[in-house]
Amino acid sequence: MTEMVATLKTPLRQRVACAEILSGSWTHLSARELAGRPVYLERDGQVALGEIFELKGVPGGRIRFVGNLELADGFAAGLSEGEVVVEGNLGSEAGIALAGGALDVQGNTGPRTGAAPLGFKRGMTGGELIVRGSAGTEAGAGMRRGLIVIVGKAGNQTGLRMIAGNVVVFGSAGQDCGLWSKRGTVVALGEITPPPTYSYACTYHPPHLKLLLTRLKVTYDLPVRTRHLTGFYRRYSGDMAELGKGEILEWSAK
Amino acid sequence: MKIRGVSIEDTFAEAFTMRVARVVITARSKRWVEAAAHKLTGFATSVIGCKVEAGVERDLAAKETPDGRPGTSVLLMTMGKDDLGKRLIERIGQTVLTCPTTACYDGLPGAPDRVGVGSALRFFGDGFQISKVVAGIRYWRIPVMEGEFLVQEKFGMLKGVGGGNFLILARSADAALAAAEAASDAMAAQPGTILPFPGGVVRSGSKVGSRRIKSMIASTNDAYCPTLRAITKSALPPEVNSVLEIVVNGVDAPSISASLKAGINAACREGVVSISAGNYGGKLGPHHFHLRQIMQGVGG
Repeated sequence: MTEMVATLKTPLRQRVACAEILSGSWTHLSARELAGRPVYLERDGQVALGEIFELKGVPGGRIRFVGNLELADGFAAGLSEGEVVVEGNLGSEAGIALAGGALDVQGNTGPRTGAAPLGFKRGMTGGELIVRGSAGTEAGAGMRRGLIVIVGKAGNQTGLRMIAGNVVVFGSAGQDCGLWSKRGTVVALGEITPPPTYSYACTYHPPHLKLLLTRLKVTYDLPVRTRHLTGFYRRYSGDMAELGKGEILEWSAK
Repeated sequence: MKIRGVSIEDTFAEAFTMRVARVVITARSKRWVEAAAHKLTGFATSVIGCKVEAGVERDLAAKETPDGRPGTSVLLMTMGKDDLGKRLIERIGQTVLTCPTTACYDGLPGAPDRVGVGSALRFFGDGFQISKVVAGIRYWRIPVMEGEFLVQEKFGMLKGVGGGNFLILARSADAALAAAEAASDAMAAQPGTILPFPGGVVRSGSKVGSRRIKSMIASTNDAYCPTLRAITKSALPPEVNSVLEIVVNGVDAPSISASLKAGINAACREGVVSISAGNYGGKLGPHHFHLRQIMQGVGG
């Protein structure tokens, strides 16, 4: 597979704003062209991506970032194409306003993963954001379309103010998941306590979940178990303080 | 040309271009897959009277279906594009949506021509329907009393071929039926094809128009009716006392050819005098299946 690899030259010692690295069209750019894109260091100001990352490989629609990027904020903001793999953790606002393509984070992400930019109502409008570790608070806030998967724990207020789209949480979900959601689906394969403004509807097999979870297993090799595919789900409708057309689907053994 | 003593006439089957959709139905068990498919393909033998021709293409194992449940693949065919969309909406809406545990998917994902089906059926949800996009494909979750009906938003359409056929001319009705059953069994396994008539067999082959009523599109094929041998211009050899027709539709001409070959080969058995085919002199349908060409190389 043709891909580009961006390896962190030295460990980050200050926060870095990465929102412009992969914004707009990037899949056709060479390593040299991509290395010229700006990043903003908290203390040292604007530098070129190539100053902190060594970029190798040829453009092929896929890029892999190697190194601990816990201090990198706004990574893959507004991503609209291609496949981005991060072999480590990311800071806050990873994949905010994602519009297309896929961001696959093999570690943890900070707060507001895949959320709407501050001051904006609408968050993700497409694409797929996979967090193989845990995600901080307000993941998927204001999401309009697309998919967020959190394999570990999801922080408080995951799916806050969702307009539509899907959030799948394999681990336990924090408080107030789906709060003020208009539509949208939060699938909880682990523990969850729906907000008090959600109402229990029924326990059943949602037929579309088989398609969704099978795709996650096949495409991303995520730990989807037979019990997830064949089990029952408790459906909660909400947020009743909003439209009430959203839902939390909580996996249940019975 | 003879195969096991049965004469293969030097003629051809004349077939037409039709529009075809492949509908994949899944359900919790084979019982409900079959129940839905049975109704979906009911009263769908000929566009002359049914507006659509339909049949089960093949059963699908759980590993072949989008949701990992048992399923079946059904082909529906009409003469026009617009018509196919209407038939899909009314038939899936009345027979698959209503059937417990079913879901309904497009079986022609690569077809560039798309027709909205789920996008129309969703209105049954009365505003409570939910759309979900999985892997770039939009589905509609329609709430029903049992739970939810899942249907794909759009279905693919291809140009297919309808009206591939052959006639079994036999010494007796029993021999004709046995040969037709053998042919139907052999053709049922052919991928990309359906046999839209009951059991795959037609006893009432038709000719274009009518001798007496101008408004009739089709009437009995008197040249092949044994009971009319004495009073019409018969096409039957003297020893023939019964004729049955097999009609096959498919996604393309090679599928039809393969099906005809398997069917004719199976029909060449004791009691069958000859195999012929229905055509209109080659003036109506663009697809001509010459029996002797198709059967070339089949042992005599």
